[in-house]
Amino acid sequence: MNVSYIFLALFLAPVVSSVPIALAYRRRGLVEKLPPLSAFGIFVSLICSIMLLHFPDRTFSYPWLPQLGIDFVLRTDYLSSLMGVVTALIAFIIAVYGLDYMKGDYRLPWYWFFFNLFTASMLLVVYSDNLFLLFVGWEGLGIASWGLIGHWYRDDDDITFVGVPGRKIGPHLFCWPPSFGGWRAISTIRLGDVPMFLAIAALWALSPEHDINISQMPWEEILAGIGAAGTVLILTMFLIGLFTKSAQLPFSEWLMTAMTGPTTVSALLHSATMVAAGAFVFMKVSWYIQPWELAAHVPGLEVVYLLALLVGLLSALYGALVATGMLERKVLLAASTMSSLGLMFGTAAASCWIHEEIAGMNLALLVAFWYMVVHAFAKATLFLVSGHLIHATHSRFSEGDLELAGRMKTAFVATLIATTFLVGIPPLTAYWVKSAMDEVMEHLLLHEYMLLPLALLLATSITYSAILARFFSLNFFKGEKPHHLHLERLPLMELGYLAMVSVLFVILYLLFERPELVELAHAGFKLSSLAVGLAVLVAFLVAFFKPRVAVLSKIGTFFNDRMYMPFLNDLVCPVVGFAVARLVDYGNRGIDAFFNTRVMPTLFAALSKRIRAIQVGYLRSYTRIVLGLVMIFLIGVAVWGVLP
Amino acid sequence: MTEPLLLFLLVPLVVTFLAPLLSPKAASYLTALAFAVPFLGTLYLLFSGGVADVTLMRLPVPIGRLFLFSDPITAVFSLSICVVSAMVALYALPYMEHRFKEMGLDARSEFRKYIFIYDLYAVSMLWLVHCGNLLLLYVFLEIMLITAFLLIFLYGYGKRQWVGLLYLIWCLIAGVLTLVGFLIIALESGTLALDELMYFHRISTLAWSFVFFGMVIELPGLGPHIWLPWAHAEAPTPVSAMLSPLTVGLAGYVLLRLSLVDPNFFATYRAPIFAYAALTSIYAGFAVFIQKDFKRLLAYSTVSQMGYILIALCVGGVFGTMGVAIQYMSHAFGKSILFMCAGGLITLYGLRDVEKMGGLHDYVPEISNAAVIGFMNLAGILTVGMLGEFFILRGAVEAFGFNLTYILPIVFIFILSGWYGFYTIRRVFYGRPKSKLESKSINGYLYVPLFIIGILSVLFLFPPLSSSLVGSLYKVVSALVGGGAL
Repeated sequence: MNVSYIFLALFLAPVVSSVPIALAYRRRGLVEKLPPLSAFGIFVSLICSIMLLHFPDRTFSYPWLPQLGIDFVLRTDYLSSLMGVVTALIAFIIAVYGLDYMKGDYRLPWYWFFFNLFTASMLLVVYSDNLFLLFVGWEGLGIASWGLIGHWYRDDDDITFVGVPGRKIGPHLFCWPPSFGGWRAISTIRLGDVPMFLAIAALWALSPEHDINISQMPWEEILAGIGAAGTVLILTMFLIGLFTKSAQLPFSEWLMTAMTGPTTVSALLHSATMVAAGAFVFMKVSWYIQPWELAAHVPGLEVVYLLALLVGLLSALYGALVATGMLERKVLLAASTMSSLGLMFGTAAASCWIHEEIAGMNLALLVAFWYMVVHAFAKATLFLVSGHLIHATHSRFSEGDLELAGRMKTAFVATLIATTFLVGIPPLTAYWVKSAMDEVMEHLLLHEYMLLPLALLLATSITYSAILARFFSLNFFKGEKPHHLHLERLPLMELGYLAMVSVLFVILYLLFERPELVELAHAGFKLSSLAVGLAVLVAFLVAFFKPRVAVLSKIGTFFNDRMYMPFLNDLVCPVVGFAVARLVDYGNRGIDAFFNTRVMPTLFAALSKRIRAIQVGYLRSYTRIVLGLVMIFLIGVAVWGVLP
Repeated sequence: MTEPLLLFLLVPLVVTFLAPLLSPKAASYLTALAFAVPFLGTLYLLFSGGVADVTLMRLPVPIGRLFLFSDPITAVFSLSICVVSAMVALYALPYMEHRFKEMGLDARSEFRKYIFIYDLYAVSMLWLVHCGNLLLLYVFLEIMLITAFLLIFLYGYGKRQWVGLLYLIWCLIAGVLTLVGFLIIALESGTLALDELMYFHRISTLAWSFVFFGMVIELPGLGPHIWLPWAHAEAPTPVSAMLSPLTVGLAGYVLLRLSLVDPNFFATYRAPIFAYAALTSIYAGFAVFIQKDFKRLLAYSTVSQMGYILIALCVGGVFGTMGVAIQYMSHAFGKSILFMCAGGLITLYGLRDVEKMGGLHDYVPEISNAAVIGFMNLAGILTVGMLGEFFILRGAVEAFGFNLTYILPIVFIFILSGWYGFYTIRRVFYGRPKSKLESKSINGYLYVPLFIIGILSVLFLFPPLSSSLVGSLYKVVSALVGGGAL
């Protein structure tokens, strides 16, 4: 079978299947019936992505602008082929869940069109080998996330907001409506996208044969050719694009207000698309740059990876700390996602100093990738549960006690599994991956004498465990009794998170089945890993039984205000921007007055009046003119004569 | 290949004289069809890879051969003009009817006058890009200016006669400066035919300066830009939807053609021109954020986008040149959609004041969604503008290396257009409505053309359209510019 058809169906099925609902926007009856078609489109993608597993490590190329090196080049390497299945599977499960969750929404055509575009764009990012093609998918992610975050554009329902209503710090309101969330997302992402685009354009110009296929570019030749400054500059520009997409410091704010979107969107955004795209592309590019080989020959490369390592790990700690104070369900999870992404960046960046390989693949990248997979399913589950909780309690703030747990047993069980499997409690799924991550950072300590990465990782791991336990506890155990409780059977939603969480068992099985993962999981048997695992367990239990500590409430509020980071987005940037805009406006008024309304018209009017005044016919005025001209002539002659 | 070119360029010209005889609806459809012919014809030429050339007349020295031609560079401009002209013609049907009623004019008889001037205006732009002789080009430039002036003068808003005159004076200054430049070229080279000029490969700095300053007024650059918000805001919207996307950018086309003849002017004065272009773009970009009138807002965005074109001209080389062309196309598509959106709001609700807008998506989802596509074009997201930005960025890297004083402004400008676009969308269409409006049903003419342009703007990014258009553009430009690698 021709693989091009598989790819065509993979990318186009989601988009094409959501066109009918988009076109039927005026016909409510039809709109209510069409969502299953859109979900089916994603199902087709899922089938295609599974079929592509049968073509491992191949490159497929179809012409677009062959003379310019811009082509449809798709690659099914280890990372892409697995990530493709993960993306499509998660998107499909969420789509099914969404059939119930979004029922009766006022903007279904918009939702499904962008949801499917989101999935298709991510798949394009995952498979494409050509940097321009990748960027097409990248922009698709940006625009689709904007559409989905600002989905409830009317800003009329408090449950769609982020932040405590009416909370003010200084002059600034710490409460954000959906349309603002969308604008914040796209404005932050644009800030990163253009530098990244420039980096791609620069690589395009520098690459011999103008080849921009990630797997085929002669990275060493290109990077060594432009020296340390050039390497740092280009790769940092590229990284800014990845950091903004993955909400790393200092670009994290948009992710928090992205929680104004429907929960299904948050689930997809946080697990397998958008924020994951940044970390994924970083892994994918590192996979072929092979910094562990190149760093010795390419000056400046180490600096870039050090930057990614630090930004990643600091973001990880920041996200985890901030989450400890969060009051809102989804925002807590958002901060924890930021933390996880930081760990992925940090671990992938550590590959620069890790030479250890498993089945020919760099250990650090492999760990980062599998952590991403585990995180995707666990985090998607937690979001889907949150969606159900918000539906049932009609509140976006964490609330719920054992009674609620008893009445929502499936949700309770799913949360229990997702949280414990994700934080790294032995011997559950993430433990094995996290142990390997500890090993990577330990390596940095022992061989590169870098203490900070390991310290940051451990601090993050323990805090992270506490925040997820806190989430679990505040929603099912020690939270307030829900003010409203509105339980109805929503089978597709329950099915959704059950299916999602059950994948974690599959991954656990894979960890002891796939040869490369068995080797990776070895780290879990080390004593030091076990110690870390126990510390994580203790943190989990403590936070579970004592999710609120009165003494720390002040610092908790500080964390809930995200250490005042919103000031950067909402105060500093707009104040500077509007100051410039106002200045420009004065400039425009001045220019307008000069040319169009005041000075020039007045001058012309005066001149014309003077000229007309000549025509009065008095001899006197003509004599004056002639005499004046004679004087000017004489002065001219005199000056001419004086000149040497 | 000679005759088809002349034939399909003649169709809209003939229709210009036929359309006034018909009913408004028939005339609009005929106009749209008439522009579909050169659109398809140009595509056919592109796919067949041919460069067409048809001689009209041979005149003595210093004018030379008058001819029409088509190559991939003209094709980009010509395709944009055809698409926008055809779609705006359809859109104008309900819009102008509304405008005539508002002005208390007899719709039927007034429409005859309107459609004639409109068609002539559009045809003059189409012919302008196909002109092979600078004198002929100047003639069409003047027809274009005068027809646009008449449309503003007759059907504009506010102080329309004052604004019309303002526009005319600015553009006449631009035109005269350009003409002087052309005449100097004629006297120096003994010809105004572009193909012969290509052999000389030399235009004196004096001639270049005249043309440059003339065209910078038309483009416009910072300073002279001040005519544009008036003209674009007060023109009847179908005219704004032509003036801003098509007309002003043609100044870029003229500069592009001349820089293909002799790139030295831009190469010599690269730094000051670049600084001026970047300043124009950033200055106007910031101005967008605080505009109160929707059409004025769009006008400032046009100034900012024309800054891109000037930057791309400065960048030069193969990719700068391609950047100019693609950027023109992408801006034409995006800005025509946006002006038509603004016009839709005027027709339906009489709204122009952005401060009274907000939450309009509820009332006009079609217009709101079209505006998203419009701004995606300007920001270069998933539309043909992506290629434009990509080419400009690569050209910049090739021209300036990693000199951050050049590179960072370009990056910032691209970011800025994304920012003001989505900021405006939120301001106008989302959030809670600022004024209570009644729901009205929207006429199909007011939004279907917008989506047709929108879909085309996406299709031009992907094969087969981009493969043939950009592929052949690359071939021709690299042959003309030569080399261009680092």
